[in-house]
Amino acid sequence: MSVKPGVDLPETSQESVAGKAPSFNRDRSRTGILLVLPAAAVVSVFLLVPIGEAIYYSMTNWNGLSAQWEGPSTYVTMFKDPLFWRVLENNAVLLLAVPVTLMCGVTLAALLNEHVWGWRIFRAAIIVPTAVSWVVLGVVGIQAFAQNGMLNSMLGSLGLHFLEHNWLGSPLSALTAVAITFVYSLVGVNTLIFVTGMATIDPSVYEAARLDGATWWQSFTKLTVPLLKRYFVFTFVITAISAFSALFSLIFTMTSGGPNYGTTTIEFFIYQQAFGTGAFGTGALLGIVLLVILSSVSLMQLRLMSRSE
Amino acid sequence: MPPGRVFIFLILFVVSVVIMYPFYFMAVTSMRSQSQYELGKGFSFASWIQLFQSVPVAKEMLNSLIVCACAIVIILVLATSAGFALAKAHFRGHGFVLLGIVGGMMIPVQSIIIPEYVNFVGLHLINNYFGAILVYVAVGTPFATFLMTTYFRGVPEELIDAGRCDGLGYGGVFTRIALPIAKPALATVVVLQFIPIWNDLLVGLLFLQEPNVRTFTVGLGVLASSRVVSIPGLMAGSLLSTIPAAVIYIIFQRYLVSGLTLGASK
Repeated sequence: MSVKPGVDLPETSQESVAGKAPSFNRDRSRTGILLVLPAAAVVSVFLLVPIGEAIYYSMTNWNGLSAQWEGPSTYVTMFKDPLFWRVLENNAVLLLAVPVTLMCGVTLAALLNEHVWGWRIFRAAIIVPTAVSWVVLGVVGIQAFAQNGMLNSMLGSLGLHFLEHNWLGSPLSALTAVAITFVYSLVGVNTLIFVTGMATIDPSVYEAARLDGATWWQSFTKLTVPLLKRYFVFTFVITAISAFSALFSLIFTMTSGGPNYGTTTIEFFIYQQAFGTGAFGTGALLGIVLLVILSSVSLMQLRLMSRSE
Repeated sequence: MPPGRVFIFLILFVVSVVIMYPFYFMAVTSMRSQSQYELGKGFSFASWIQLFQSVPVAKEMLNSLIVCACAIVIILVLATSAGFALAKAHFRGHGFVLLGIVGGMMIPVQSIIIPEYVNFVGLHLINNYFGAILVYVAVGTPFATFLMTTYFRGVPEELIDAGRCDGLGYGGVFTRIALPIAKPALATVVVLQFIPIWNDLLVGLLFLQEPNVRTFTVGLGVLASSRVVSIPGLMAGSLLSTIPAAVIYIIFQRYLVSGLTLGASK
């Protein structure tokens, strides 16, 4: 952005800005470089360099102390390992919780948007779990999903005794328990974003639809949902990224990845490989795989967002 | 109220009760001793006393506070200055730097944590506040910088021209004009960084292993996996760890929304 010569300037002791342009430009670019330097240095040294190291070490048999070069064949070996696909399958199942979270979020937002009596209190209640750490959710989750826990007693009081069992005892139900906790934690953020999105819609649009005889459901599906397309893309992406990279603490405290790898997702697998078995090279490799997956999700967001302009 | 609205009220009421139930469970359970918990009735402070006896609560809270405060202050300094430079004080190659920093937003902590850990072992930064703080800063700075860049882009160019007419250099424009009007964006950065750092387990578990530097969340995670404390004691700890994040959250709720929706609206 160059200096605008046409700007009306008040009388000052200075010469006109246009006249001082060269020195101001120099001052601008020097100040800019000085100001950006600390952040650029920190990001380079502690974020980009470790990524480079991780790429290098992913092709070695690194144990944290010494590393022998093995080449890209380490990736081939990993992609042939059934356990790797078992772990990715767990991630895929967890991804199914993402649309559920979005649906709950948009529904709750639509209900809050009706501004019924006490809606601010309800909004606060729905958003509170967002502030709670995954460690706490894991600790409470164990109590919720145990044989004599909250979920079973809730099912029992609904007469659904046949559904009662030790949820954390078998792989698929433990993964379901992780997914339920995930939805519980992220529904608030989703709701909050959709509430904000709905506030941007002009109320007269709804008024017109109502005069045309549209039902609440029709105006929801034909107006609200299409108008919030960008918000859907955005919440989908942040929720999917959370499903891949934010659940370590939950899995660590609630299931430790078990039973029998049933709740081991790729991010927990990284930790297990490196700090559980000492296979630092394998951990680094999995970290790169995770990075590739998440970058693809982010790039998909950019494409979808630019298309919905 | 018309019946439709009563129905909506009832749905929201039931959902809120279900969502708040775990907090009720934590509060009630923490107010019982182990035997009262098994019985399902009674009231005592025994579990809170047990928690404070078996865990250095004050020390761990102080550790959490030090780590969070330092990391957030450093992130704020780095992100505001870089954000201003990338939005207003253009230099040759600023687009490239912006791309690099935005690219950093895509990097999950799990992808860098192994090399970082080994590097920091060599630098003696394990079991040292500064090591964990550096990791939080590295992971938090890209998004904070992106947020500040977007914010400063919204500052009218006329305001900066006016500052220059008053004889300020770009450094002066930054500290005297841009910084004071950036307070809402700074609040957004604070709330968006505080919650994940306060609640973090992974970085703390690896970089702050020793009890004397451990944060409260890490302490709670270790406590949960070691099973030395009763369930009511664990619930007391859980409740305690939730309070600071919830307070920050309620105070800064407005800024949380603006930060979260930035990605959707821009």
